[in-house]
Parts: sequence; structure tokens; C-alpha cells
Amino acid sequence: MPTDTRRITGPESSVSPYSFCKIQEPQPLFNSQDLRKDGRKCDQVRPIFLKTGVVSKAQGSAYLEQDGTKVICAVYGPRAVIKKEEFSMKGQLRCDFKYTTFSCKYRRQYQQDNEEKDYSVQLLEALEPAVLLHKFPKAQVNIYVTVLQNDGSALAASITCSSVALCDAGIEMYDLVTGCSTRLAGDRLLLDPCKHEEYSSKEHSEVNNGSVTVGLMPSLNQISAVTSSGEIQFEHLKKAINKCSEICVQLYPVCQQSLSKSVKENIKENT
Amino acid sequence: MVDVQLSDAEKTYIIHGAQDNLREDGRGCEDYRHLEIETSVVSTTSGSAKIRLANTEILVGVKVELGETSPENPDKGRIEFFVDCSANATPEFEGRGGEDLANEISNMLARAYDCPSCLDMRKLCVVEGKKCWIVYVDVLLLECGGSLFDASSIAVKAALYNTSIPRLTVTHDEGHTELELSDDPYDVQRLDVYNSPCIVTLSKIGHSHVVDASQKEEACCLARLMLAVTDKGCVTAMKKEGSGSFDVSSIEDMLETGKKVGQSLNKSLMEVLVSEDRNMKKKYMTGYLR
Amino acid sequence: MAVDIRLASTCVRLKPESIDELTNLVTPGDVITSDTGFMRGHGTFMEDGKHHASVAGVVQRVNKLICVKPLKTRYNGEVGDIVVGRIIEVGMKRWKVDTHSKLDSVLMLSSVNLPGGELRRRSEEDEKLMRYYLKEGDLISAEVQSVFNDGSLSLHTRSLKYGKLGQGSLYLVSPSLIKRRKTHFHNLPCGVTVILGNNGYVWVCPTEGEVSEQTGGYEQNFEPVVRADREVVARIGNCVQSLADHRMMLFDTSILYTYEASLKFPVKDMMKPEVKTEVIDLARQRLERDGT
Repeated sequence: MPTDTRRITGPESSVSPYSFCKIQEPQPLFNSQDLRKDGRKCDQVRPIFLKTGVVSKAQGSAYLEQDGTKVICAVYGPRAVIKKEEFSMKGQLRCDFKYTTFSCKYRRQYQQDNEEKDYSVQLLEALEPAVLLHKFPKAQVNIYVTVLQNDGSALAASITCSSVALCDAGIEMYDLVTGCSTRLAGDRLLLDPCKHEEYSSKEHSEVNNGSVTVGLMPSLNQISAVTSSGEIQFEHLKKAINKCSEICVQLYPVCQQSLSKSVKENIKENT
Repeated sequence: MVDVQLSDAEKTYIIHGAQDNLREDGRGCEDYRHLEIETSVVSTTSGSAKIRLANTEILVGVKVELGETSPENPDKGRIEFFVDCSANATPEFEGRGGEDLANEISNMLARAYDCPSCLDMRKLCVVEGKKCWIVYVDVLLLECGGSLFDASSIAVKAALYNTSIPRLTVTHDEGHTELELSDDPYDVQRLDVYNSPCIVTLSKIGHSHVVDASQKEEACCLARLMLAVTDKGCVTAMKKEGSGSFDVSSIEDMLETGKKVGQSLNKSLMEVLVSEDRNMKKKYMTGYLR
Repeated sequence: MAVDIRLASTCVRLKPESIDELTNLVTPGDVITSDTGFMRGHGTFMEDGKHHASVAGVVQRVNKLICVKPLKTRYNGEVGDIVVGRIIEVGMKRWKVDTHSKLDSVLMLSSVNLPGGELRRRSEEDEKLMRYYLKEGDLISAEVQSVFNDGSLSLHTRSLKYGKLGQGSLYLVSPSLIKRRKTHFHNLPCGVTVILGNNGYVWVCPTEGEVSEQTGGYEQNFEPVVRADREVVARIGNCVQSLADHRMMLFDTSILYTYEASLKFPVKDMMKPEVKTEVIDLARQRLERDGT
């Protein structure tokens, strides 16, 4: 593992105190009234706050908050490609996904780890089908996503946030992309899971425990990203994908609203 | 992926072929190419396997080492994947050229195996909170001919099946813990990989999807769905790759195909591995002498 | 659907065929002759007044010229060869073409037939339309016009039989396996056209009517190919691949014999090694019978 020499690192290896906590028995995900820990119903999504134009220097930007999950995204470009490769009439999209070091329960490394690299690629592939790449040949667009605070569904939130930021940057798109994730727990689907509800392989060993994240282009009805973890039967997987797509469609008006609001504000300022 | 360039007419030919369920080499959409497998090919490993899927060749070596347990999982061992895209396969991999692909493959493998039922990590724990076995799985790409994910996952499963971990006896003595390694080379512990997943990549070509895409077919494909399917017919990891998107209904079709193909892939792989194990004594090595 | 997994140890291996004793086989450093009366050709070098081989291969002697022909090599072009190549770059008044030779080959704008088969001066307009005629990735069949000093080739397509290739598939084999013939374009009776490029690129496609041949292939036909044709193309393609795997020379008769021998197997079974071996053996026997 290469280390960053510009930083004075702490002790060679430090361990979060939480690691030594007694391992708790996995707590039930919902109580007797079928309510989740934060009082939501199984199919209830956390309220979303979405705002564009939060980074003034960037071409486009957006901030998304879903209770404890806070994501900020900035879009730069299109600008000339720095590293020239072979001739192509298509523009390039670059994605960079990063958790801030303090965003999770355990401190994250300053450098991108495997999970973050994986998410960067998935984010890129979720957005690519929606962008009219041939409209900016030989140029690239950089998308930087930073998760300020992570309380579950970070990838889904990043997908929604970055597509809104792309739109705010005035980049031509076929459609927005909205993201939604769900946690499978046996027969139930817990939509928009919090961090403690998200699937982790060390707590749950039964079949049909897992997480599914879907990115959907709502008006084209095309799925541009889909990912899962945990052992899931095919029938449940299908159900989860369908449910997620439904929610993605519901998120569409939220994005539209925030975008039209920012356009209105801009018009007001200009006149 | 490793790129090959195709002309528009060639692409059209391949796309229509997939629609006709007759591909360039005469296969149907759900057929795999000829697959050859051999285990224990490298004697310095705890377990190894080499597979050849038409032009794709992959060598997997597994090494087990003793290490400290992590504070989060004091009662479990670990498995770590590393993929090396050797420049032997194609000059494009020279230097850091193959790094992105290598990361993608190892991430996918790690996710596919991140399930308690795939591989029981508790069995790899030696002394709770102190010592455990760490299984290092190293995948080496020797030749690229398409379907790298599928081939790597098959090779990994075969290599894990072939892996033998030396038996350790733990004795507690006046507060000290002593580990004793068995002298008998045959006194080993095997891994149970019966429910380990195989990755099935479904490449969307035109309006149909194919399994085990060749390099040419990969060049025509805008989006693919990767499914890690277990023998029981469960998915342990799923991922969409490529710059295209899927129709909601086509995902359902692809899941159906993935389940069917994945289960039969697992079944035939296990049959072959078990039969190789049984004929261990008669066996002669083939290795690289083809 | 079928998943065919086997153990490497159970697979049929190619048995070493009884090769007639080759006496003129050399490896690098071998002394070919110490007679100074010979001329030094490709694959040889002189030291201490002796001819040494610099590659592994077969010694060939033409009058006073000695050369060693390596078995595996990049394509060394000769004027008049027919090649199949892929456009890799569109440049000023020229295309760069990959023909499996050491250096990229060149196709000048002035040495192509423009759409409609017109032979006229190339205007500036044509220069702008170059990517429209042939773009990166396109396949062409062409003839070697000349060889430059550095060994790179200049191609031309100034005949209606050459030009852009349409729907079909390309197979790559070693250039030394292509038998030099009077013609390298074959319309096989099974409804398939095979172009055996001297550079080891073999193009297989369904035989088309006269119409498209007149245009030099610039107007491409994207209509789906009929399933039956597709099957024959796949079968011929697999035959070409099997012949190459078994190091057999490729020419019309050998392909046709292999094709006929393969007819009793379904197309997709031809990828199995034992089927390959059987089919090739049958074809080989038939070729040998013909030879005597």
C-alpha cells in the first residue's frame, strides 16, 4: 500500500475503539409494529433535500441530504482532454467517488480504497448512458462526488446527486438518473436503508439478506446501474429491482423541482 | 476490457447473429466455449488451478498463511484476492495498463465471496482473537480471449477446492498457547467450496444477450450484467458494466438465463473437480504441454 | 445450452505426426555452408567466411541465393500479394493499414477506386471525405503495390475485386500457412466467399450477387444475413481455424475437404479438440490420396 509522504501519519496502525466493543447480537430490523428503528415503515423513504449550485466555481454542482447521508457533487468541464488517446468522436466522462475520512463510523483512509474505486466505476457507468457524449467530442467532463456523512445508501444518493449536478452544469442529457437502494431481509424489503440496516456479511448469514442498488432513467425507463451484495434468490432479486425502480420514478419530480427552482432563481438574478 | 477494433459491417454481422441464436463460431446464445481445467499445477502453492477457455488462459495460485485476526472479526479468517494482468497476455497491460481491469476483477471476486455461505470463514480461525488463516488468492491472466470474469471465477473456485491447509493442533499451557503443525503432509484440512459462486457475464448484443462472449463480441456489447451465481441458484453479487443501459424487462430475462447457466456451470465444474480428485493417483500432469 | 468442462488430462492431445525427415532444418548459429560461392539471403549471416543461420527454419536455395525461411514470422510483403487489412488511422491523403507486417502499411488516396468505380483526379473534396470512404476499424482487401526501403508496404485497391469488406468474419492465422496460388479469392460451392490474404488474414463471408461488387464495397449492405448462410460461414470459419491449429496449409481444396468432412458434426461441436482432430485427419487423408 503506497502511503502519502506529504502527510504526517499517525501511529503505523491505529484501531478504532469501536472495534473492541463486545460484538452485539444483530438487532431486529423492525419492532413489533413493523416500524424500523427510526420510526419509518418498511417502504418509507427518508425525506430528500436537494439543492443545486452549491460550489460556485464549478460548472455545476449539487448537494443532497437524506437524513444522515450527506453528499456533495461538483462537475467541471467539458474541457479539453489532458491525456490524449486515440481519435474518438465521443466525449469522456470521469468520475471520482470519495468518502471523507470522517464520514463513517471507522476512520477512512485519505487515499481511495477499493470500495471507493468500485463505486467510482459504478457511478460512471450509471451516468454514461444518460449523457449525450457525442456533443462534446475530444473533451472530458469530471464529476467529483464527496460523501460528507454516510448513513446508508451512499451510492444511490451519489447517483441522484451527480446526475442533478451534471444537469446543472448544462451538459446535454437524455434523461436524469435517479438512484435507490433497498435492503432485503427475508421476505421484506427495507427501502432506503440506514447505515445500521445495510447489509454486512458478518452479521447476517441467512439467505435473502442483502442490499440492492438501482439507478434508473425514469422517463426512458432504462436501468443504467444495478448492483447487489449478499446471497439472494432470483425471485427476491427481481422483486427488489422492481421496487427500487418504482421509487426511482418517484424521485424524479424531486430532482425536476430542484432544477427548475435553480433555473428560476438564475433568471431572477439575471433580470 | 482488452479492445479489438471492428468495422460497422462486422458488428452488424455479430449483432444479427446473436439475434438469430447463431453466433460467429456456431454457438447458440447460451453456450460456453470449450473449457479445460487442471488443478495442482504449481507445487509451491497450497492449491492451484489453471483453466483454458478457448483463448483465455488463467492461472490461480492459493497460499494460506497464519495471521492476526482482525478486531472486528475475532472468530474468522480472511480471504484476499489479487489479480495480476500480466503483460504476457497483451502489451496493453504493460506497466500500470492492466491495473483498472485487475481491480475490477478482484473487487468483483471479493464481493462474490463476501457471503458466509460461500466459504465458512469461521473454520479458518485458529485461536479466537489471536490467530487465523489468511487465504491469499492470486489470479494471473496469461492470455485474454474474452470472458475474463467468468473464467477467473471458475479458476478461483477450482483452486480453492484444491487448497489444503495444514492441520494445526492448539494446546493451552499455563496461559501460553502453543501451535503445533502436523508433520504428516496428508493430514490436511480442505475448504468446502460446494456453495462458492461462479460469475456469469451476460453481454447485451443488440436485443439479445449472450454468455461467454468472445473478444469480438465484447467489442459489440454496450452493457453487460455480471452475476455471481451459487449452486443453489442464489446471487451473491451483481453488477452492471459498460456504457449502455438495460430495459427493465430485459433484466428479468437476463436474470432467468443467468440462473439457468450459472447452476449448470457450477454443477459441471463440481463434477469435474470431484472426478479429478478421485483419479488423483492415475493422473499425469499436462501443465503447459499442449 | 451447454457447458462443457473437461480435465486437461483427459483431453485428446495432438499426436506428433510422422514428419518426413527434414534435413535442411536449422537453428540460429548453425553453419549452413562454408562455400563462399553463395549469396547471403534473409535469415542468414556471414562470419569467418561461413554462412550461418540467424533464425530457426527451413533452408531454401535459389540458384546462388541461400535464405532461411522461419516458420513463424510477421508478414513479409511482396509486390503482387493479396492482403486483407484493417484501417487503423486516417491521415493526410493516406490511410494506415494493419496487415500483420512489421510496419504499418499505407494505402494512398490516389491508389483507391472511389465509389462508383470512377477513375478521376482526386479533388480536395475527396480528401475531406476520406473518413466517409474508409474509417478506423474498416476491413479492406488489397494488393501490394510496392515495398518501401524500410519494408513497409504500399497497397492499392485499383480493381473492382478489391475494396471495403462487408458482413462476415475475419480469422487470423500464421502467414506461412497460406499457400501461394494464382487466385486468393474463392467462391466456394457452398455459398461462401473466402479471401485468403497472403498476410495470414482470412476473410469469410456469404457470396453476394454481382451488384455490390461493382461498387467496390463502399455501399454497405446491413441487411441481416440468412441463418443458413450464417451457419455455413461459421462452419468454414471453424474449418480455417482447425486447419491453422493443426498447421495445415490453407488453400481452396484443403478448406473444401475439411468442410465436407465436418458436415456430419453440428457447427458448434467443431470447437472440441477431438472433433477437430478427426475432421482434419479425414481431410488430410483425402488430400494425400489426391496428391498421389
